[in-house]
Amino acid sequence: MERLDPFSLVADELSLIANRLRSMVVADVSNLASAAEYFFKIGAEGKRFRPTVLLLMATALNVHIPELPPAGVGDTLPTDLRTSQQRIAEITEMIHVASLLHDDVLDDADKRRGIGSLNAVMGNKLAVLAGDFLLSRACVSLASLKNTEVVTLIATVVENLVTGETMQLTTASKQRFSMDYYMQKTYNKTASLLSNSCKSIAILAGHTAEVAMLAFEYGKNLGLAFQLIDDVLDFTGTSASLGKGSLSDIRHGIITAPILFAMEEFPELHAVLDQGFKNPANVDIALGFLGKSSGIQRTKELAMKHANLAAQVIESLPESDDADVIRSRQALIDLTQRVITRNK
Amino acid sequence: MLFCRGFSRISRIPRTSLFGFILSPPTGPSQSLLSNQYLNSTLKVCGGRETFSWGLPAFHGVGGQIHYQSSSIIEEQLDPFSLVADELSLVANRLRSMVVAEVPKLASAAEYFFKLGVEGKRFRPTVLLLMATALNIHIPEPTAGGVGDTLTTDLRTRQQSIAEITEMIHVASLLHDDVLDDADKRRGISSLNAAMGNKLAVLAGDFLLSRACVGLAALKNTEVVSLLATVVEHLVTGETMQMTTSSEQRCSMEYYMQKTYYKTASLISNSCKAIALLAGQTAEVAMLAFEYGKHLGLAFQLIDDVLDFTGTSASLGKGSLSDIQHGIVTAPILFAMEEFPQLHAIVYQGFDNPENVDIALEYLGKSHGIQRTRELAMKHANLAAAAIESLPESNDEQIRKSRRALVDLTQRVITRNN
Repeated sequence: MERLDPFSLVADELSLIANRLRSMVVADVSNLASAAEYFFKIGAEGKRFRPTVLLLMATALNVHIPELPPAGVGDTLPTDLRTSQQRIAEITEMIHVASLLHDDVLDDADKRRGIGSLNAVMGNKLAVLAGDFLLSRACVSLASLKNTEVVTLIATVVENLVTGETMQLTTASKQRFSMDYYMQKTYNKTASLLSNSCKSIAILAGHTAEVAMLAFEYGKNLGLAFQLIDDVLDFTGTSASLGKGSLSDIRHGIITAPILFAMEEFPELHAVLDQGFKNPANVDIALGFLGKSSGIQRTKELAMKHANLAAQVIESLPESDDADVIRSRQALIDLTQRVITRNK
Repeated sequence: MLFCRGFSRISRIPRTSLFGFILSPPTGPSQSLLSNQYLNSTLKVCGGRETFSWGLPAFHGVGGQIHYQSSSIIEEQLDPFSLVADELSLVANRLRSMVVAEVPKLASAAEYFFKLGVEGKRFRPTVLLLMATALNIHIPEPTAGGVGDTLTTDLRTRQQSIAEITEMIHVASLLHDDVLDDADKRRGISSLNAAMGNKLAVLAGDFLLSRACVGLAALKNTEVVSLLATVVEHLVTGETMQMTTSSEQRCSMEYYMQKTYYKTASLISNSCKAIALLAGQTAEVAMLAFEYGKHLGLAFQLIDDVLDFTGTSASLGKGSLSDIQHGIVTAPILFAMEEFPQLHAIVYQGFDNPENVDIALEYLGKSHGIQRTRELAMKHANLAAAAIESLPESNDEQIRKSRRALVDLTQRVITRNN
């Protein structure tokens, strides 16, 4: 089986979506327009990871469904199923960017995606307002799909994103040092968007609850795997050795999986973490412990576990002979490997 | 407000907004004055918007009945707020317990919600609950439920939910409007407090918006989702318009009315429409509800503009003048500019120079600006009343009472002194 680049399978559609996104965030007031489109401009769109997953999932689920639910009265049949699924991808990106805009204000960040963060460039208030604007546009687009189950799923995502952010601002030690809390926070901040949007793709296609759940599980496990590797890379950077990463998490006092694992082996780390990282010496001490521990290794293993779960989910989907369907599923599995082997 | 302590906002105090009913009955003028000061001082510390209370003449508390000498109306005039007082408590308590229970971290900010989101501010929910009753007409054909029946939950509960959601969106927008930029911080505000205040303001606002989303989704009515999402867009657009006006735009009545619709009227108009839609009303009736909300909101804001100049007295200069001092050009000045083109140059220059404020006030005094603004407000108030009178007839006493109350509100909006 030819190993296709997952991203190339959907490249054209991605361009379509990118263009539509740019037109959807146009605002009448010029400052708002500049702010809202800041991260949708060509060059600033980011990895397009999420839309890629969703479009691949849409094709992967493109199987004949024995019984489609009857269309309700007043139901607007999707102009085209594919178009409405693309809309999920757009909505997801808008919500994602909106959350980035607010996160950057909350984190006092000055850089994002290699350029100045919006709050650094245009001010906190405009960044906050732009985030709200994107959210409202996403909701209007969501409403136009006329599917109340999907509306509920995406509303849950919005709620989870806020909860995740609130959890991150928590300073209580008991929670900061808890792996369960960390995984819950990670689900909220990263995986929920993927899981629920994947599920929405399935629901729009009229799939059963079982298939919708499989789509959900794929997104969830992929998202968790992604974030865990993100945590590792923040320490290791593009090299396998410690300290070459940006270390931005630890410097902001954000405790991630590698450190949490290290703490299990070296309880002394507790005291260091309690002191916080205003003192850069503490960063070095923590890194020292991390290096001696199997924290990095165990995080990679956990990521792999989730990646494999995601791959298995794809293999559990209802069979299909269609070449496109098979290719997309292969691509989705491929993604689970790329997520954990990537260097950046 | 815990996170705002020691943090005073040096930049402009934001405009008064559409809330501030003190429902704890004032026993007399001094009592209501006290309540005013309490709220005002709390808010000044926290940089929130000023509340005001409608110190209605002859208002004797919840449940009191006001009898007007009116030439044509024979029916008893009921206090609009008393008609829905119990429901309002219900809505308020649900809102409060939701915030405190689910996000303990924000509970310290919950005090803020209580003051602004509940106690002080009941105007919008009052309008919505009254509208719900006013539209409570039996609809001959059941609305199409479809798969996943949208009518399983009690209609009234759903409409109350709109009232809660509307408040959540309103408070969220207040919180986000209060986010400071570094420029504000640099003016001597303790940066730690300001930073913390900013974060909590953003987070608290996001929390409320997310709850509004969930609440909207639960109604299983995508048209209502769309309406209220549009409100958020309008609020943001209106605030951005206010933040970024060019000199030319500042002189335009059209720009001003558009901004006013976005910032004030859109929320009421669209939530009134949502109430109608949930009740399964026709598009025509939904439009009437929309129009009522829109004209009420516009009338309200225009009087707000006047009061900013006149305060509690009919003469100029006794108001807080906060709009003009912050360079916000409102209807009275815009009208004055039509009579005195010389005013253009002053407005164009802006009001950083306090002398310009004095000059503008002088022109305003010589002009009919205040009067014309009041007339415009009255026009909108009457349009709102007309919308209610155009509703399909009903003999039901509750419905008639609510409609009278809604009409009554249109008068209160324009005759209030604060």
